[in-house]
Amino acid sequence: MKNALIATVLVLAGSLFVQVLSASPEDDVRLYQDYFKKRFPSIDFQEFANGVYAISAQQRENWEAIEEFPPYEPFIERGESMWNTKFSNGRSYADCFPNGPGSQHLYPQWSKEQGKVITLALAINQCREANGEQPLKYMKGPINDILAYMAFESRGQLTNVVIPADDPRALEAYEKGKEFYFTRRGQLNFSCDQCHFPNSGMNLRSDVLSPAVGQTTGWPVYRSGWGTLGTLHRRYSGCLKQVRAKPFAAQGEEYRNLEYFHTYMSNGIVLNGPAARK
Amino acid sequence: MGVLLKYILISMVTTAMLLSAGLFAGVSAYDDTEFVNLLNTAKSAQKKASSVGGEWRDVGKFIKEAEQAAADGDFDRAKKLAQKAKTQSELGYEQAVSQKGKARNPSYLR
Repeated sequence: MKNALIATVLVLAGSLFVQVLSASPEDDVRLYQDYFKKRFPSIDFQEFANGVYAISAQQRENWEAIEEFPPYEPFIERGESMWNTKFSNGRSYADCFPNGPGSQHLYPQWSKEQGKVITLALAINQCREANGEQPLKYMKGPINDILAYMAFESRGQLTNVVIPADDPRALEAYEKGKEFYFTRRGQLNFSCDQCHFPNSGMNLRSDVLSPAVGQTTGWPVYRSGWGTLGTLHRRYSGCLKQVRAKPFAAQGEEYRNLEYFHTYMSNGIVLNGPAARK
Repeated sequence: MGVLLKYILISMVTTAMLLSAGLFAGVSAYDDTEFVNLLNTAKSAQKKASSVGGEWRDVGKFIKEAEQAAADGDFDRAKKLAQKAKTQSELGYEQAVSQKGKARNPSYLR
């Protein structure tokens, strides 16, 4: 009897341990969002879309002044012009994005046909190539114009990344993104979460570290340090360089999976791109 | 026609001379067995670290600088840089491999 009781307790403890190790994406997102709600209890949840400006009053003052004359406006105008310009075969972006330019909430998405995560930037280039156009570079330049216009048209929609249950490869991609996020890298031995979870809100020299939740809502972003608009994958590369790790290729599998996980974390938060950041 | 042939011949000989000068310069730049071995080991280590996504930022730069230092005849500096590239690659590999498949929500979240 005693042995049976011990065995039962061990089995229950074991299954609990396995559950902790293999949290579902739904469990994860609850865990992450609750973490930040507790860490910053006075912040309205939707405010996380504004990144560091949700939690630093001083930096918010600077940002609000910048937003009076948004530095990303010319990019939106150029992007609109790109959207309305026909490809050489007479078709246009509208033929690839049936929901119109305000389609950002559908990305990143899992493509069962292609067996990989498709980001909005990748979808734009797939559209261009399918219509006989040259693909755009993924970090700087005109890709940001079309992304800015699409982000602007998507403002107000909610982040809604879906991990379809009918294709286990989607969950695998999410898990790979999660592993990337929590893996220490580079000579400084840092993982993404170390800056953006327990140290969020803390100062790093003159900067305040932003919370992880809400970080994906405003891309592409005009960063004052860049003096232009840049993509999320450009920022990923910048982060890796900062911890002295070799960056990966923009739109490579590593960053796409990371974006899948990273954006999923912000499910339910409003899209507000393009944005301006220090 | 004869003049054209002469010009072609002269330009071919000139090109061959320039190429061989460059090749010899290359050979002399790596005329240190210890450095060559170290550089090859560093490059292999870099490749190994990269294969697991663990390459560190400056390894490629160190290798390029080592090659440049060797080309300039400064083998002491070249060896130091190659050694640095090798060590960082090995550490990057160990760092990546030690965490493979183990990433989960950290303890502060549980």
